[in-house]
Amino acid sequence: MSLADAELNEVPHLEHPPQDALALETRGLDFYYGKTQALHGVDLGIARGKITALIGPSGCGKSTLLRAMNRIYELYPNQRAEGEILLDGEDILSGQVNAADLRARVGMVFQKPTPFPMSIYDNVAFGVRLHGSTSKAELDAIVERSLRRAALWDEVEHKLGSSGLGLSGGQQQRLCVARGIAVEPEILLLDEPASALDPVSTAKLEDTLLQLKKDFTIVIVTHNLQQAARIADYTGFMFMGKLIEFAPTASIFSTPRLVRTRNYVTGRFG
Amino acid sequence: MSARSARRRITNAVFVGATALATFVALAALLLILWSLVSKGAGGLSGTIFTQDQPAPGSPGGLRNAIVGSLIMCGLGMAIALVVGILAGTWLSEYGGQSRYARAVRFLNDVLLSAPSILIGLFVYELMVAPFHGFSAYAGAVALAFLATPVVVRTTEDILTLQPGALREAGMALGASRAKVIRTIIWRGARAGIVTGGLLAFARISGETAPLLFTSLGNQYLNLDLSQPMAALPTTIFQFALSAFDDWRQLAWTGALLIAAAVLIINIVGRLLAREVSHK
Repeated sequence: MSLADAELNEVPHLEHPPQDALALETRGLDFYYGKTQALHGVDLGIARGKITALIGPSGCGKSTLLRAMNRIYELYPNQRAEGEILLDGEDILSGQVNAADLRARVGMVFQKPTPFPMSIYDNVAFGVRLHGSTSKAELDAIVERSLRRAALWDEVEHKLGSSGLGLSGGQQQRLCVARGIAVEPEILLLDEPASALDPVSTAKLEDTLLQLKKDFTIVIVTHNLQQAARIADYTGFMFMGKLIEFAPTASIFSTPRLVRTRNYVTGRFG
Repeated sequence: MSARSARRRITNAVFVGATALATFVALAALLLILWSLVSKGAGGLSGTIFTQDQPAPGSPGGLRNAIVGSLIMCGLGMAIALVVGILAGTWLSEYGGQSRYARAVRFLNDVLLSAPSILIGLFVYELMVAPFHGFSAYAGAVALAFLATPVVVRTTEDILTLQPGALREAGMALGASRAKVIRTIIWRGARAGIVTGGLLAFARISGETAPLLFTSLGNQYLNLDLSQPMAALPTTIFQFALSAFDDWRQLAWTGALLIAAAVLIINIVGRLLAREVSHK
């Protein structure tokens, strides 16, 4: 049997965290862009309080999988997900869960920094104000705490009133992290958050994420394998719409079970 | 130097020369217009222009009734156009997409954008003047609104479409509704563009004459009753410029200078405002 045949016949190898450690779980998740199926029966377990990285070649479906977890795809009428996504045991695809409530529990940071055209303070307060009324003092405290946790406070402490658009790219991305965690979500999704950042800003963002996993469950899609190796506790490798290998990060990078995974993580992907 | 490179240099020089000449012609025409406006109109500028109404031939007077009328009708017209135009432009950009209905609306808006203003005047005449047996400032304002609305619709849609999709997703990812995202994030980011569009529309209608001839008609007295005929600078200029009286023609020049100056100031303010907002 040639190597290519061996690859095609590989059975997915999934070492998920124990069931009771999961914050979120997908079961048999299919995803469609119109008639094109982008995800095929994805079973994925996200461990609570850990960083899980999704890696894989472009177009493999890792961003699609992430965007299913907060149902942000619903903005686009021709996209749909089938299967189950369990958040604390509740299926968010069942129609019983309100999108706004879901997104308060599952936050998201995007590839390009997306500061809103308003002050730094208002950016961070935006989500908090949406989900109920808070006193000025409480809001001040939330804004400060969120900015501190996103490691941005020291840099913006004296200019909270100035526009978020005036910050550098790295600062803007940490502002988006602060905005995302201000509503105290259970899970924070990050879609290639460092791809538009320089190495120094990337390192800072990674430090921030490592700090944040004490309080949040983090799922990060990344093209940067070193990044996954540096910060993730678990790593999933996706290929052509399927999750084909999932394991603790160390074993994905040191002892990948599948040929495809090995080729990808050693840079011999073809 | 080779013959080919010499030829290239010459071709280049000719082309640059031609574009420079064309630019000069266009600018010269503009400067000539401004110069004749200033030279013939500035002489008539005085305080009484703003404090006195239009005179009988041979008597002293000003343009107060026309200035006030223009401000009222343009203001009301813009109020209508901004509300309708911003909402329609928002719908086209955020909800309509490429649906058949949206494409039809967009096409009709483009038609309206280039419709001759005299047709708009006749239309509003049939709509509001003939049925009520009288010219009125309301009809004038509505005619102006018809002219301004497509401009506002177009600029609003264009500027909203330019707002990055990631911004909409980021807002919704925090749990905001679509309407909330549009109102608090998208409109905010597009503020400068929307304001600029509004000012452009205002500049456009402030000089319109034809639609007012059939609707607000004109009025030699100061009138604040919107249900009655009302003077406006363009119609007054039209009337005076065609008259046989030197002092009326002088007032017409001065009125034209006022409109030109107002349009210039509106444009400058629009730019400053756009810069201010985008830097904030």
